[in-house]
Amino acid sequence: MLQIKNLSFSYGNTPYILNNLNFELSDGKYISILGENGSGKSTLIKLILGLLTPTKGTIQNTFQQTAYVSQRFESLNKQFPITVKEVLTCYQKARHLPGSNLIAESLALVNMQEYADALIGTLSGGQFQKIFIARAVMGNPDLLVLDEPSNGIDIKSQNEIYQLIRSLNREKHITVICVEHNLKAAIRNSHLLYHMSNGIGHMCNPKNYIKEYLMENTGVEEYVSI
Amino acid sequence: MFQYNFMQNAFMIAILISILCPLIGMFLVLKRYSMMGDTLAHASLAGVAVGLMSHVNPILGAFLLTSFFGVVIERLRRHFKNYAELILVVILSLSVGIAITLISSGAVHANVDSFLFGSILTVTSQDFYLVSALSLISLFIISQLYHSLMFMIFDEEGALIAGINVKWINYVFSILVAATISISIQIVGILVISSLIALPIATALQLQRGFKPTLLYGILFSFIDIVSGIFLSYWINAAPGGVIALVSVFLLLGVLTFQKIVCHAGPILKLAK
Repeated sequence: MLQIKNLSFSYGNTPYILNNLNFELSDGKYISILGENGSGKSTLIKLILGLLTPTKGTIQNTFQQTAYVSQRFESLNKQFPITVKEVLTCYQKARHLPGSNLIAESLALVNMQEYADALIGTLSGGQFQKIFIARAVMGNPDLLVLDEPSNGIDIKSQNEIYQLIRSLNREKHITVICVEHNLKAAIRNSHLLYHMSNGIGHMCNPKNYIKEYLMENTGVEEYVSI
Repeated sequence: MFQYNFMQNAFMIAILISILCPLIGMFLVLKRYSMMGDTLAHASLAGVAVGLMSHVNPILGAFLLTSFFGVVIERLRRHFKNYAELILVVILSLSVGIAITLISSGAVHANVDSFLFGSILTVTSQDFYLVSALSLISLFIISQLYHSLMFMIFDEEGALIAGINVKWINYVFSILVAATISISIQIVGILVISSLIALPIATALQLQRGFKPTLLYGILFSFIDIVSGIFLSYWINAAPGGVIALVSVFLLLGVLTFQKIVCHAGPILKLAK
């Protein structure tokens, strides 16, 4: 379970980026965090991952193991000399994860067995994201945090990735926190939506998100077509 | 030439250097931190000067002071994240300042030329044992940290979240860089050590292979650079450092040219078939 109470955060003496956030995420749920650029989504993720310390309030994280899939494709050094198999091997060895067949199983999970010896820089955005999801679930995490998993990826690959994340959540019961810009995917896959705006959060039900929140707060009719 | 004891010692040290330099260089180049090698090489000159002044083995002096500066760089790098190269300039200035002041003031009653340009004539048995011990310890530590280092340089944030002690490993790595430089300065020379750390890996990267093959090619190229550099320097009676640097650059150019030819010839040969 993840419990966030009265969470506020600021860098030094600057104004608060997050202001008095409160929410609870129980085991096995899939939550999407939505909001415009600069609304504080990434900062919230960094706080949950323990990369930043709250200025005020508390984060109670009772999950045993957290895995993270960052938004790395854009910033990746395409010349980096590492194969898919080596990416997974160094993760397994560095974390002392047991299992002689673990890498083959992980590649099979994302249906990318034939790419084991491919250089990471030669993969497409969708393939790259799948490999990072495979790596993240290698250690059987109970919490999976993803930062915009469909960013810069074609529609076909997006569908495959969301199907994979959904099956990890529904079948393997991994709790998912997903920072999203893809509203359609968030509504389809999530149990809960957390909308952030100017550092303030608002928990919504995906079914009523457009009607109850977006249209009321923005007045934009075009959301109805989604 | 192998009837001379110093030549045997020099050759053995050369083999150790040819493994260690690319091993460290691989991580430094991929971290985009090659200039750290150059800065610590200059810091080692201060260590040599302090060692000679205080009648301590200059390689040991270089190792101690270079390790200290390596740890300081890592500490400051964490503090001034966006100005990492500025820290290298500060440490470089400080260490060169110490070295030049000590040497020019006459406090050091010895010639430091052999450390600047490299020399195979000055390698004593004591140096050989010290270098061997430092090399074996360094190789053992790298073998233990190999996968964690690989994970960290590919995805430092991911490594941090996965529970890898990134901070501690970075400090240990700084000391390993210091050890490699101290081991290498006598044969290769302070002025060209950074090229030996970066160039064999730069050459291997042209082959566009995975991490392990790139590293193995780096070690092979480093071995060719150092051994042929030592032989050539012996025959033409020049300092080995300069000759090794020249061989490294020519080998890089050779591999680049070869790759260009293969890239252009490949499609033509396919069409001909």
